[in-house]
Amino acid sequence: MYLSDDEKRLLDGAEGFVRQRCMAYLVELATVSGAERMVDLDGTTDFHVPTTALVPEYLFPIEELRKIVDEGAVFKAPTFANKAPFYGATFVDGWEGCAYPPHNDPAHHAKAMQPDWMELYVRMGLITTYSCASYLASSYWPSVGQHCAWNESSAVPYCNAVLGGRSNIDGSFASSFLAKAPYSGMHVPENRLATVVIDTERLIQTDVEWDVLGFAVGEECGLDVPALIHTAKPTTTQYQKFNTAANTGGSIAMYHVPGATPEAPTLEWALGGKKPAREVRFDEAHLKKTYEKLNDHRGDTVEMVSLGCPHYNLVDLMLLSRKLKGKKVKVPVWIMTVPALYHTAEQLGYKKIFEDAGAVLLSGTCPAAIAGVPGGIRALAVDAAKQAYYISGLFPEADDHLDVFYGTQDDCVDAALTGVWRGEWR
Amino acid sequence: MSETIRIKGRAEWPGKVTAEALVSPIPIEGFANVDDVHGYITERYHPLFKIPYEGKILVFPSPRGSGGFMKFGTGKIPAAYVHRRGNTLSDACIMCARVPAMTDFETDPLSVIETGDTVFVNADEGYIEITKKEK
Repeated sequence: MYLSDDEKRLLDGAEGFVRQRCMAYLVELATVSGAERMVDLDGTTDFHVPTTALVPEYLFPIEELRKIVDEGAVFKAPTFANKAPFYGATFVDGWEGCAYPPHNDPAHHAKAMQPDWMELYVRMGLITTYSCASYLASSYWPSVGQHCAWNESSAVPYCNAVLGGRSNIDGSFASSFLAKAPYSGMHVPENRLATVVIDTERLIQTDVEWDVLGFAVGEECGLDVPALIHTAKPTTTQYQKFNTAANTGGSIAMYHVPGATPEAPTLEWALGGKKPAREVRFDEAHLKKTYEKLNDHRGDTVEMVSLGCPHYNLVDLMLLSRKLKGKKVKVPVWIMTVPALYHTAEQLGYKKIFEDAGAVLLSGTCPAAIAGVPGGIRALAVDAAKQAYYISGLFPEADDHLDVFYGTQDDCVDAALTGVWRGEWR
Repeated sequence: MSETIRIKGRAEWPGKVTAEALVSPIPIEGFANVDDVHGYITERYHPLFKIPYEGKILVFPSPRGSGGFMKFGTGKIPAAYVHRRGNTLSDACIMCARVPAMTDFETDPLSVIETGDTVFVNADEGYIEITKKEK
C-alpha cells in the first residue's frame, strides 16, 4: 500500500499515540478492503459518538483524548454526530414525555448524554447534530466530488447520489480526526457508475412507493449501483425514504435517477456509456409482496405508533401537524426528528399541536436505536421500511412477539386515532 | 475419501482454519437483526434464523443494512468468513473478529459450498478448500 511521508510519520507514532492509533486503523481498513492508498477528505464526516473506534482493537480511553484536546487538537474534517451518544442512544429532546423508563428519568438522561466525552468533542469542533439525518440540519453539505466519510447507512446514499459527495459507510473518529479514508468503493469514480437498470410497472411517486421501491432495489441489487428509470422526480422526503430502505433491503451506497441526481443527466451518463449488466422490471406483484413482507402482524390492533425513520424533516412535521390538529390519539405516538429541527418545530407551533393531540415529539434516536419499545406494547405501527425491519428483529421469540404494521403516514395517523390498522398496498 | 475443491480468492484477514460451513443463500444483516450474545440471526423468516454460527465458516453472498453489521464480529463469532463480495460493512466486521476472512473468489463460493461441508480457509496462501459432506 502506498503511504505518503506524512501518513508514515503518523503510523510510526511520531505525532503521538492517538494519531498513531487512528492511522493504524485506517491502514488496517484499507488492507481488508483491498485499497492501495488513502484519500484526503475535503468534505464532511460523521461518527457514532462517543466511541473512539467501532473496532475494539482501536479504542482508547478518555484520558488520551483529554490530553490531545488540551494540546489544541481539533477534527480536521467538519464532523457531525450520528444519533444520540451510544450505546444508550436516548432521546435528546422530548424525553420528559416519552413514558419509557429509564429514558424519562432526568438522572438517566444526563448520564446517557455522555457529558464528559461530549465536552471534549465539542472543543474539537464536533457539531452535535445527533441524527441519522445530520444532512437535514448541517449547513456544510459536501459539494459535488468532495470526499467524505459518513457512517450512517441511511445517509450515505444521500451524500453520494443526491449531493454528489463521495463516501463509503466509513465515518469514524479516525477518519474525522485525520480527514483521511481508504481510497476504495465510492471514492473511486468508476465504481459510481450504474450497472443495473431498474424499471417499474407503476409510476413511483408517493412516499410509501419510494420506500417500498428502496427495499426492493436493495434486495435486488445487493452492492450494485442501480439507475432508476421512469419514476417521478423524488422530493427530499422521498430521497430520504428510498436511501434508508435501500440500505436495509441491501447495501446501496450509490444510485442514479437520470434527470434528477447530479451525476446522471441521462441514463447513458449514469451507465458511463456502457451496457448495463442487467435490466429489471418490478411488476405490481413484486412491490406488493415487498410491502407485505414489511408487515408482520397477527391481528389488526395497534398499541403504539412511531413515525420518522429516518428522522423527519420540517415538511414531514408540517404535514403531520395538519393531520393531527384538533385530534386525539388513542395510543402512544412517537414522532422522531433531528434535534435542531425539534426546536424549529417548537417555534412553528407543531410541537404544541402534537402535544394537544396526545403525541410526543422526540429527537435524536428511534425505537430500533434504543433497542425496544415501552413495556407491554405488543403491536407497533411505523411508516418506514427500515424501522419495520429492524424492530421486528429485536423480538425474535414466539412468546415475546411484536406485531409490526407498516404503511403510509396517513395509515399510521389513522391507526393512532382509531387503534386499528387499515393500511394496505394501494 | 471425499473429493476436495480448491478456489482461489483474496485474503482480507490472514490465518488458517478448518471448520464446518454454515451457508446463507441470501445477504445477512446486522444491527437489530443479529444477536451477538447467542451468535445467531434474529431476522424473521431469514434462512439462518436462530441457527448458531459460532465456530462455523460463515458463508454469505454480501453484507447488507446498517453499520451495525459489525455485530457479526463481536460476542460469539464464526471461525472464518467466506463471502462473494464485501464493502466497508464486512471490512469493519472482520476487523472486530480478527479471524481469517476471504472474498473476491475466482469461482462463486456459494455455487460450491453447502451447509455441513468442511471448509479449509487458508487466507495466508489465498485459497479455500471444500470437502463435500457425505450424502
